[in-house]
Amino acid sequence: MAEEKLGMKTQVPASIESQKPRPKKAPEFPIVEKLNWLIHLYYIRKDYEACKAVIKEQLQETQGLCEYAIYVQALIFRLEGNIQESLELFQTCAVLSPQCADNLKQVARSLFLLGKHKAATEVYNEAAKLNQKDWEICHNLGVCYTYLKQFSKAQDQLHSALQLNKHDLTYIMLGKIHLLQGDLDKAIEIYKKAVEFSPENTELLTTLGLLYLQLGVYQKAFEHLGNALTYDPANYKAILAAGSMMQTHGDFDVALTKYRVVACAIPESPPLWNNIGMCFFGKKKYVAAISCLKRANYLAPFDWKILYNLGLVHLTMQQYASAFHFLSAAINFQPKMGELYMLLAVALTNLEDIENAKRAYVEAVRLDKCNPLVNLNYAVLLYNQGEKKGALAQYQEMEKKVHFLKDNNPLEFDSEMVEMAQKLGAALQVGEALVWTKPVKDPKSKHRTNSGSKSATLQQPLGSFQALGQAMSSAAAHRKIPSGAQLTKPPSLPLEPEPEPTVEASPTEASEQNKEK
Amino acid sequence: MAATTSSPDSDSGRAESNEANSKWLDAHYDPMANIHTFSSCLALADLHGDGEYKLVVGDLGPGGQQPRLKVLKGPTVLTESPLPALPASAATFLMDQHEPRTPALALASGPCVYVYKNLRPYFKFSLPQLPPNPLEQDLWNQAKEDRIDPLTLKEMLEDIREKAEVPLSVQSLRFLQLELNEMEAFVNQHKSKVIKRQTVITTMTTLKKNLADEDAVSCLVLGTENKELLVLDPEAFTILTKMSLPSVPVFLEVSGQFDVEFRLTAACRDGSIYILRRDSKHPKYCIELSAQPVGLVRVHKILVVGSTQESLHGFTHKGKKLWTVQMPAAILTMNLLEQRSRGLQAVMAALANGEVRIYRDKALLNVVRAPDAVTSLCFGRYGREDNTLIMTTRGGGLIIKILKRTAVFVEGTGEVGPPLAQTTKLSVPRKTRLYVDQTLREREAGTVMHRTFQTDLYLLRLRAARAYVQALESSLSPMSATAREPLKLHAVVQGLGPTFKLTLHLQNTSTARPVLGLQVCFLYNEAFYALPRAFFKVPLLVPGLSYPLETFVESLSSKGISDIIKVLVLREGQSAPLLSAHINMPVSEGLAAA
Repeated sequence: MAEEKLGMKTQVPASIESQKPRPKKAPEFPIVEKLNWLIHLYYIRKDYEACKAVIKEQLQETQGLCEYAIYVQALIFRLEGNIQESLELFQTCAVLSPQCADNLKQVARSLFLLGKHKAATEVYNEAAKLNQKDWEICHNLGVCYTYLKQFSKAQDQLHSALQLNKHDLTYIMLGKIHLLQGDLDKAIEIYKKAVEFSPENTELLTTLGLLYLQLGVYQKAFEHLGNALTYDPANYKAILAAGSMMQTHGDFDVALTKYRVVACAIPESPPLWNNIGMCFFGKKKYVAAISCLKRANYLAPFDWKILYNLGLVHLTMQQYASAFHFLSAAINFQPKMGELYMLLAVALTNLEDIENAKRAYVEAVRLDKCNPLVNLNYAVLLYNQGEKKGALAQYQEMEKKVHFLKDNNPLEFDSEMVEMAQKLGAALQVGEALVWTKPVKDPKSKHRTNSGSKSATLQQPLGSFQALGQAMSSAAAHRKIPSGAQLTKPPSLPLEPEPEPTVEASPTEASEQNKEK
Repeated sequence: MAATTSSPDSDSGRAESNEANSKWLDAHYDPMANIHTFSSCLALADLHGDGEYKLVVGDLGPGGQQPRLKVLKGPTVLTESPLPALPASAATFLMDQHEPRTPALALASGPCVYVYKNLRPYFKFSLPQLPPNPLEQDLWNQAKEDRIDPLTLKEMLEDIREKAEVPLSVQSLRFLQLELNEMEAFVNQHKSKVIKRQTVITTMTTLKKNLADEDAVSCLVLGTENKELLVLDPEAFTILTKMSLPSVPVFLEVSGQFDVEFRLTAACRDGSIYILRRDSKHPKYCIELSAQPVGLVRVHKILVVGSTQESLHGFTHKGKKLWTVQMPAAILTMNLLEQRSRGLQAVMAALANGEVRIYRDKALLNVVRAPDAVTSLCFGRYGREDNTLIMTTRGGGLIIKILKRTAVFVEGTGEVGPPLAQTTKLSVPRKTRLYVDQTLREREAGTVMHRTFQTDLYLLRLRAARAYVQALESSLSPMSATAREPLKLHAVVQGLGPTFKLTLHLQNTSTARPVLGLQVCFLYNEAFYALPRAFFKVPLLVPGLSYPLETFVESLSSKGISDIIKVLVLREGQSAPLLSAHINMPVSEGLAAA
């Protein structure tokens, strides 16, 4: 500064002297915008070192008057993570050009990145006064209001942005707002429009497919996920969602082939290994299933679904001690799910801990209000323990649920479940024909379960299906005891010899079904 | 040259390498060519009318320090001359209908266009000055006539800057930066000058004037920093038309003829692309991108735009998006590849990973791999070869490749169909003998395992509970669990002996209630230790504070024996301690007391 002052003092006499002999022109000012085009070219090709060098040179030559150089330097600071320095430079630009909306927009964006959303909305509103038809301002205002949780204002701004100019980002943001507010239908509506506008955007297609999946509209879900995979065959989100749908339909090999792509892209994805494990489970490769599920459990130790599946597979493998541990852990994380208690009860039954098994069944019956399988299994246990009254009560409760399900959803029950119910009914001497008339008339072999009507999570349908099958197998295993129990009664009744052969024949049939399965 | 059928592209690295080699001849590569430029500063033309096409390079020089105009023939530099400023764009065009047909060279630099004929300076066109702000001019006139003082001048200029739409001149901006004591001299030095506002050229291209022929006369189209497009007459260099844009143009594309019908497309700094037509002074259509445009190429009737989101987009002339292709790296520059012998027009995109990718619409036709990142691209007739690709690299290298005459670009099928990852096996651990044995054992002895585990678990819980009760009953815990006196105690022993300092840190952990009436008692073996204060009262304990209570311990034994000292905290009048702690005393290092 002192040097500059000295320079100025020296210059003044020279200027005065030179004016008298001959008037001398002052040097021309350099053009402030001379190198703006070069700064921009380096910036857009991300050559930030060269860009900063040119900026420095230009600011020196123009003594800090080149607004665009300051602007781009601020952008680069922001890209490098120096948000505060960036904000200060943008404010300098706003001083140099008060009527320029771009500078205010960048100030607002820096405030947004610093987490000061309220201040950012104020600056964006100032910028909106200067430029009425800027979709970016409306869009960014919508984003800021979203962070401030003022969702109605956010929606208004985002809709304004879409009217000015349509962009995928705006649709995605609107969809997220509706999801945050729990409005699934409106979110689907928004994503539909987004897909119409941008038919090849795999992110939009995948999101829409997942939303349809949550609603249970499987046809549309599969359609959109398929489109996403057409444009981007390695989209792992779409692959996981489509794969889980394939698993629900029993196409385990196709799903496994698809999962290989995700295994290459994201080898440490817990949902991936969970789904792969359940594919192997569906193919009856139980050891491989356990390996994959344990890997998934290692990657996500607190995911109750993986623990649920591990418990299920270990029940299938008759490793009841291990199943007990996994199911206990799952119950710790998800204590409100009746099905988990039912499976735990099955494990405890096989571990000959009848008292705790009964307690687990009581809890399962209390929590699960619509699954007749819980009551059926409980009835079988009570019957095996010789508590006919309790078994009868549970049997009747199961009948109520079956009636309810039949009235609401014409579903085919699991054939093994039907058979077991019939045998138990006969054993309890209940009016069998009155309840099971329809299934007897239509002996369809479709393996569909009543759980299909539930709105399940991504992995849940497969788990439920297998859980029912496995639970039926476990329940069927208990029929050995009723046979023995029944054998003790023949001496007292003359008619006993006639039903006895039937009971003996059915165990063989059931075991055959078990092998077949 | 052997005639071979080109195979389609495939994703395999070796096949790709063979594929790249089979289409292009490596004519020249000089990593030390010292050419630093952009695609807009490259041009191919028959400058001397001898049928030999030359390469014109507007060279920025390393670090933008020594701009030069270079003309290359084959791999060598034919002529080289310095430039007054950095070149923004270079173009060749025909000025007139005279024979022979030798094109002129136009070089845009700063506010001027330098026109060369036969590589000699021919004409210099300067952009007209912008009209100054009338208020600003009036203020400086007053200053010239000494009818205004510097302070008032400063205030009024700031007012103009705050409100006016027309920007201030550099002179006024410089003045507003000055300190108070510098203003007088500045005004005296500059007040007699007329204020100027000058803009600069940001981009340039050529537009046919009235005929669509290859050798027709062309106009120059300039893009300027003050958001305008100018069309210049090629003979008189007068401005034929002027169009306004909402933002500064960066890339230009034209089609049609000026006198008949034309279409101008400008990619601008605000991330938008504007499309203008003959009779419009303002854009007719607008394409708003989500990111900055990196390049703009017109292929037949499709506009191909590269964006900083590492993607290519295809648009119609009315702004409808047709397709998007993702790139593996950032796009550095783009240009048109036109193989006239086969009627092929394609887009070349140079990426930051050294690749040059060639696309027809969204289909990848070819990948050329360069040893360095390619920063400028040019395709056309060079020398006497019709299809030559010329590239310069970030480090200043020059690469020349000639497309084989037999080369056929076929759309690759390698990227269609299922991904390669689908054929790889999942890494699932194998079933081992040990695992099977463990499974069988669990099947047989599951019940015993379960019962043993449960029994052991109950025993563990029982032992933990008993230990807890015992700690509570004997007050062995350093934490007091009673509701009325929540206390915490821990002890520190300092020193080497024979004299030690024993410091107790006692803390009242309740939220509001002070504790008073406490006593501290030490139990120790009198044969080993002597404590002058083995019993003392504790002052009132304020909640939350930790009180250090000090006492000294004298070691009496000279045989290196250490023992335990027990600390008890009691309430006055009660014999059961509230809490206690055991202190393991260290061995005395010093001599015993006499």
